[in-house]
Amino acid sequence: MANLKDIRDRIKSVKSIQKVTKAMKMVAAAKMRKAQERMEQARPYSNSLDEIIHHLLPDIDRNMLPLLEIRKVKRKAYLVVCADRGLAGAFNSNLLKVAQREIDAFGKDNVDLFCIGKKSRDHFTYRNYNIIESHIDFWAEMDFDNAMMIGRSIIDHFINGSVDEIHVVYNYFVNVAQQEIKSEILLPLTYDSSDSKGLDRLYEPSKEALVNTLIPRHLNVQMWKYLLESYASEQAARMLSMENATSNAQDMIKDLTLQFNKARQAAITTEMLEIVGGAEALG
Amino acid sequence: MNSYTVEIITPIRGIKFKDVEYLRCPGLDGSFGVMKKHRGGIFALSIGEIKINQNGANEYFATGGGFAEILDDSVKLLVESLEKSNEIDLARANKSLNRAKKRKIERSSELNDARIEASLARAINRLTISKR
Repeated sequence: MANLKDIRDRIKSVKSIQKVTKAMKMVAAAKMRKAQERMEQARPYSNSLDEIIHHLLPDIDRNMLPLLEIRKVKRKAYLVVCADRGLAGAFNSNLLKVAQREIDAFGKDNVDLFCIGKKSRDHFTYRNYNIIESHIDFWAEMDFDNAMMIGRSIIDHFINGSVDEIHVVYNYFVNVAQQEIKSEILLPLTYDSSDSKGLDRLYEPSKEALVNTLIPRHLNVQMWKYLLESYASEQAARMLSMENATSNAQDMIKDLTLQFNKARQAAITTEMLEIVGGAEALG
Repeated sequence: MNSYTVEIITPIRGIKFKDVEYLRCPGLDGSFGVMKKHRGGIFALSIGEIKINQNGANEYFATGGGFAEILDDSVKLLVESLEKSNEIDLARANKSLNRAKKRKIERSSELNDARIEASLARAINRLTISKR
């Protein structure tokens, strides 16, 4: 049996770890609430914009805008949205696994990467993937301008013909206990041309002008959505994993305390036996 | 009943109006009105005023532009900003007006002219509508 001092030291260290995980859980919970609020505010706007675009697109000639062009896919770009920090359960690793599998399936030499978050950048840098751009350390003061900036560079990459398709892999916030890894095609925009209602509709000022303003805005809003969803998911994942860690620490403290008491009693018993034995020998 | 539903959605909030009889939006080439059975379509909106007539009462909003989609029995407005006429923060509006004016005179910043003009127009618009 381990000696008393060792057990006491371990209990102490587990207790202090528990304090840290508890604090992290609380911080994540506060951040998540804020992030979730922001995300839920943004959802109706991005959904309605999506709807309008899908009502408009079937009536549009694909040659009108470079962003709509469908080319033979020789090269793809992947936007991988991760967190800057770990300690969020399998949040980062699951996503990176999915992203890497998809990229490898297409051939890693034919994929340009845009990494969001340190974890994503580090993972792919270490494995020698072709990273074009990475954005890190902006989550704390994330705003719509960040989304626009990231969006612009990746969209330019598509327009100048460097890649023929843009995929996004991110964590979608289902609820606090559940995040879903989603892989979507951002560009070229897909739609079913049979959706065209053939309605006699008015477009003002003109179809061209509408497409030209709507689509760039749509892409920015999408990008913003990816960031918000991922951030809320990250905080939720961290909150949950820290809660688990805290309760695991609690279990461990319980076990160790039991062990400690057993050891203590065993020591007392031995001591008593020794005393009694000594007294008998004298008598 | 000749009324329909109007939904105004901005990136930070959404408002729904039921039983709207008349809606006036700032189109790019001037305002246009929408009543029930308006022809469907998609319209770009500029900076200006949205007027909604609901149950005979008028409400006015300042907007920073966006899009309107007119559907069979509803209208959806997607706008960048929305402020009700009596909720406009006058101090803020005046401040951004002065800032825009100053920028227009200086023209030194890397902001382009279109952006300066737009922020000036937004500030003037807000102030005008706040007097409703």
